[in-house]
Amino acid sequence: MKPDIEVIPIETDVLVIGGGLAGCMAGIKASEYGVKVTIAEKANTLSSGCAGTGVDHSWAYIPPIHEKMGWTIDDLIEDHTQLIARGFINKGLLRLVASENYNRMLDLEKFGIKIRFEDSKIPGKFRIVYQFHSLPSSFNFDGRDLKVKLTLEAKKRGVNIVNRVMMVALLITDGQISGALGISTNNGHLYSFRAKTVVMSTGRANRLTPNVTGIWGNHRIPVNETGDGRAMACRAGIPVINMEFLSSGYYSIGNYELNLGSPRNTVQPAAAVTGPNGEVIVPRTRFYDWDNLGKEKVDARISRQKMLSGNRNPRPSYEQLKQQGEGPFYLDLTGGTEEEIKYIEWSIRNEGKGSLFLDYLKNQEGFDFRKDKLEWLPNSREMAGTASSGLVVNNDLETELKGLFGAGDDVGGVPWAGAPGAFVMGWRAGEKAAKEARQQKNFLPADAGQIESIKKLCSGILQSKEGQHWREIELAVQNAVDYYAGDIRAGNTLRRGIERLNDIKKNTSFRAENPHELMRCLEVQSIIDNAEMVLNASLERQESRRAPFGFIRADFPEQDDAKWLAFLSLKRNEGKFEFSRIPIRQ
Amino acid sequence: MFNPIVFNEKTCTGCNNCVDICLMEILEANPKKGKPPLVKYPDECAYDGACWMRCPQREKGAIRIVPPLPMRVSILRGEKP
Repeated sequence: MKPDIEVIPIETDVLVIGGGLAGCMAGIKASEYGVKVTIAEKANTLSSGCAGTGVDHSWAYIPPIHEKMGWTIDDLIEDHTQLIARGFINKGLLRLVASENYNRMLDLEKFGIKIRFEDSKIPGKFRIVYQFHSLPSSFNFDGRDLKVKLTLEAKKRGVNIVNRVMMVALLITDGQISGALGISTNNGHLYSFRAKTVVMSTGRANRLTPNVTGIWGNHRIPVNETGDGRAMACRAGIPVINMEFLSSGYYSIGNYELNLGSPRNTVQPAAAVTGPNGEVIVPRTRFYDWDNLGKEKVDARISRQKMLSGNRNPRPSYEQLKQQGEGPFYLDLTGGTEEEIKYIEWSIRNEGKGSLFLDYLKNQEGFDFRKDKLEWLPNSREMAGTASSGLVVNNDLETELKGLFGAGDDVGGVPWAGAPGAFVMGWRAGEKAAKEARQQKNFLPADAGQIESIKKLCSGILQSKEGQHWREIELAVQNAVDYYAGDIRAGNTLRRGIERLNDIKKNTSFRAENPHELMRCLEVQSIIDNAEMVLNASLERQESRRAPFGFIRADFPEQDDAKWLAFLSLKRNEGKFEFSRIPIRQ
Repeated sequence: MFNPIVFNEKTCTGCNNCVDICLMEILEANPKKGKPPLVKYPDECAYDGACWMRCPQREKGAIRIVPPLPMRVSILRGEKP
């Protein structure tokens, strides 16, 4: 491979970095304002992001249903704040997502997604199930091909989609965003985007710890999501919040976190979790009684209190149960009705890796929900709560850097915003970014020095003969995060973890044979930056905050709301982190 | 090391849809036109199934994804209901 890196200059009014759900929605909306819009995507927008192979659920305040129940938007917000986030949430952003997502679901319908079903008893012919809240609030829908439909819609509107470019650096001119730089994963060319505004929507930070099976790609979240957005923000000195919330191992089915009625999850009717003799550990849940809709008004306050009092005495985790000699645990839908089993199969087919999983389960394993059970096993650690960690934004999705917006899982402070967060924040960020770009007459000059330094970095990796393969470095970082930022953390070990990570960085020298490997090296660089934020933030937060994040400090075992009911913000300045606390308004 | 994707030479038309769509860039078009793609980086498969979902010859078994042994599910088989 020739180390000469060709520069491809592209001018666009709005640049969207990352073409998952949020990025596609941002691009689609921005196109309505007569500006030139480009989505830069590391893979291919047809299949990329957390919903690359489908998402089947999306929570919202649904007026035609919830009004009949006597449940208000404020009830939903209180449910999410208390039941899900335990008060640890940006209520302004939560309100935006909660109140706007119904409209976004209707938009998705316009883009060709089926959200109404003939056999439904629910007004609007929707399929609505329980998820996070005290009443059913999540649409179930045919979301398998959502990314294909969003890509087609974006193209129809003239959005320029540039696939196979991994973005690595933000360009800043005079305290304002002026573009961003990316590397083609096909040919190693450097894409130099000049833009008036930028929407950051690269998604979650995955691959921070080893997976549990030894199969590299075996994580719940798509493995090419390596927190590139947070890493770029960190390198540019833009604050990122809540990076300490790397939660302990989930339980799931191999890598396939399925929403197969896993009881803590999103699909209803859910399977039970049972023990070796069929004893119920977590009971099943069933369909809501829709025939009863409107006949009695719910008292949201009472139902919330009931759920909260249940939550205050949480059952032990599966890991704790196992340490007490309990287990194995099974997902158990035996005894489900044919209607329930059909519904669950439809739902799995539309969610994430479910389509492939169902095919594998039936055709390669001969599995039958009516009689067989699936063992529930541990999975790797993840950043907790989707959009709980990420960029600091206001209700218009603006960051502190003029012209830079955040969307979806790249935004922090809205735990479990999930797909609704991506739809709503993407849409709003696209609108605001387009309107701001329209105000700005000219492009700002790009910093030639920054372009040169990325060129030098990449050609250095491609020319290296002595350096390490990216996997060697990735594994070293993952092992350090796994040990030092494990289930229970403490000051002394976290300080040592930071030293170890610095040693790894000192001994790191990337080598790539081709642009594909260069991309993996740059991903591992993102993982290093994210790991550094996780370790430093974990050391800084001097309290434990079990629910909902499972953050435990052995040396600070109590939750300290007086001091720490606050988002912890990190900002890198000349190699050192500066911390600040953003109090959470109740 | 692993062999995550198996193509059926008889039914795969070599359209390379799967190459274009693969999230992880693990596939490469076969230099021989009309032949199944090559699995260039089998160890980087994400097992998300995008290639399989978008295969126009899927029903004819042109592409099959086989999870490696450590990833296979653990099943407690029951009696016929």
